[in-house]
Amino acid sequence: MKKSTWIIALLALTFAGDRLGGWALGTIIRDGQFRYSKLYRSEAGCDILFTGSSRGLIFYQPYIEEKTGLTTCNLSYNGLPVDLAVTLLKDHLDRHTPPKVLLIEVTMLDKRMNENLMANFNLYAPYSERLSTLLKEKFPKVYYGGEVSHLYRYNGEVFQRALYYWKRPDKDWLLDRVISPTMIANVTDQPIFNFDFTDDMLKQLAEVVAYAKAKGVHVELVVNPYYPPFAATIGNLGALTAAIEKATGLPVRNYATSVTDQEGFGDYQHLNKRGSRFFIDKLLEDGVLPAMEKKE
Amino acid sequence: MIFNSLTFLIFVAIFLPVYFKLKGRARLLLALGGSYLFYGWWDWRFLSLIVISTMVDFVLGLKMSLAKDAPSRKKLLYVSMVLNLGFLGFFKYFDFFTESFVTMLQSLGLSPSVHTLGIILPVGISFYTFQSLSYTIDIYRKKLSPEPDVLKFATFVAFWPQLVAGPIVRASDFLPQFRKDHDFNWNRAMSGTAQVLWGFFKKVAIADSLAPFVEQCFAEPQAFASVNLTIAVVFYSFQIYCDFSGYSDIAIGFARILGFDFPANFRTPYFSRSFSEFWTRWHISLSSWLRDYLYIPLGGNRHGTANTYKNLMLTMVLGGLWHGANWTFVFWGFLHGIYLVVQRLWGHTFGAMMRALRFPKILQSTINIALVYFFTNIAWIFFRSPDLATAMQVINGIAGMEGFAFVNVMNKFVVLKGVLLTGMLLAVEITDFKWDYGRLVLQKPAFRVASFAVLLWLIAIFGTFGSNAFIYFQF
Repeated sequence: MKKSTWIIALLALTFAGDRLGGWALGTIIRDGQFRYSKLYRSEAGCDILFTGSSRGLIFYQPYIEEKTGLTTCNLSYNGLPVDLAVTLLKDHLDRHTPPKVLLIEVTMLDKRMNENLMANFNLYAPYSERLSTLLKEKFPKVYYGGEVSHLYRYNGEVFQRALYYWKRPDKDWLLDRVISPTMIANVTDQPIFNFDFTDDMLKQLAEVVAYAKAKGVHVELVVNPYYPPFAATIGNLGALTAAIEKATGLPVRNYATSVTDQEGFGDYQHLNKRGSRFFIDKLLEDGVLPAMEKKE
Repeated sequence: MIFNSLTFLIFVAIFLPVYFKLKGRARLLLALGGSYLFYGWWDWRFLSLIVISTMVDFVLGLKMSLAKDAPSRKKLLYVSMVLNLGFLGFFKYFDFFTESFVTMLQSLGLSPSVHTLGIILPVGISFYTFQSLSYTIDIYRKKLSPEPDVLKFATFVAFWPQLVAGPIVRASDFLPQFRKDHDFNWNRAMSGTAQVLWGFFKKVAIADSLAPFVEQCFAEPQAFASVNLTIAVVFYSFQIYCDFSGYSDIAIGFARILGFDFPANFRTPYFSRSFSEFWTRWHISLSSWLRDYLYIPLGGNRHGTANTYKNLMLTMVLGGLWHGANWTFVFWGFLHGIYLVVQRLWGHTFGAMMRALRFPKILQSTINIALVYFFTNIAWIFFRSPDLATAMQVINGIAGMEGFAFVNVMNKFVVLKGVLLTGMLLAVEITDFKWDYGRLVLQKPAFRVASFAVLLWLIAIFGTFGSNAFIYFQF
């Protein structure tokens, strides 16, 4: 093989493989059951919509659907930063009949959320102008990298999850383990935990709340439960909720210490299925989640 | 400048065509200038250390060859060693020994008022110091003639592909290669590029994908279940292997493109059936350096069993200390010394026992490989931990078996990706025994095209592009 032929063959094969692979993976992802795939297929319509970080994942959907008789959709993701959450929420509201209730778990207003997660959402950029704009602004190299190499769009954990949920629903995505004895023993050694929130985060939250309300959605802001001894180490939860209430004009329902059953936690910040069921019952009691309508 | 950065890609895109355009001294000047630029990109002030070491060793080498008697040569060698090891000792170990001294005095009830200097460690100092020392020691031993051309010598010391993290190439292997200009050679460029791409895959796809999980577990081991700590240790064994051997592959590959042959630095070390075999497969350029310039001069295995063990222990402990100014590295070296001693003491008995039990050869090999890998991982725990207390937390966490269940595996997708990538690595390394990919790349153009394209696709999907530094830069 001549050298020039060899180089051309390499370039052609690399490019063709990249486009073909990108197309194949794109097809798989687009047709999958993962929450964001359904969102961008406009098939994620529901009565109750949730969002938040990993702490928003503890809204155990099968149990909520069983108890309320309503359909649910959860846009939460581990470490979801506010600006990405807002983008996904607006896309959801624009593409579906507005839900009856929107529950936002507000402890994602923290700089510790995973800003880099946004880069993982590059695989959905072709389907959302809003997401593309956000990526161009925050991660231009990642966005344009995905334009050069279509395979590169699938470089990240979100793709792996989307692949995992290709043929199966993701509604029971919830950590189901019990907090370890070592964690329980070490909880008193934990340093003071403070939320590091900014005015911009508050502004974005207020904006999306107003956006949802304008579409007739009832919005609830909640703080999900923490392992109570850990909750005692949080320094400024009150300051966070006060700032949110001021920015949004809505009350924040604080359930930080509402679950005391040790067996109901997977770790300090997350309920397991057992704890989630208990918490959901509480939300139903308090009317945060709509109760099942009695059939005539 | 690091290999996995945009700056480096631009550097290489300019350097390579100009290098092959130039001939003779102009090319050497470019190689030296490029090497200094490559190093100075990190911190130009520390270039002065390389220049001083280069100049002193160059002059001492010439003087040594002219010295009439052995004592005069020895004095000159001492000057070289004091200067090179002095720089290394000051920049790498001054703060460490000061802190350790203060701790020791405090344990005796004293409160000394001693301050550390907060010295910055110059990148690659351990590598170029050993490389440069091999030159003066070999001249002292009359195994090498001094290099009369300062430009060639300076390029040998600072050659950019292996300047900051090896392999440590001996003067006797490297300097003769400067005697002629190397024209561009298509086959060398192809096999070099194959090795560079494989090195990048190991670094940006495998090592950097495993790194966050390992980092999390070692930062706070008490917060993680036994199963996660176990995964973290196994992942670290592959992270450090892929990180370091990836760097070596890139360095050796670029050197080959430029016309130079460097010896292999890694040969599937985790398939070693004994600890002595491990050290002929892991960081070969360092282990052979330590053997030739430390273990053998100490007496090697020539003065009885007790002395052999003493020499082994000393070599391994100093080899550990070479890696970093921390007791964790010293203990890592100590453990490997113990492994080698124990192997010498009971290795034969263990082998005889397996033969007596009529274990098939393949089973004997598998047991040996598993044992070596297991104990190597124990040592890696100390190597990776920031201090001895953390290492013990990791070991206790694993041994306690608390939460050793699949349900407790955190971030399963990261783990799954890690398993997939290490599986790919092992599959390639195992099949490479049978089909010798290097030969296939050269002989089958279609295979070459396909393998290059596949590696590029895999890097696009699995690569981490945050310009993460190589682990061995800190050494």
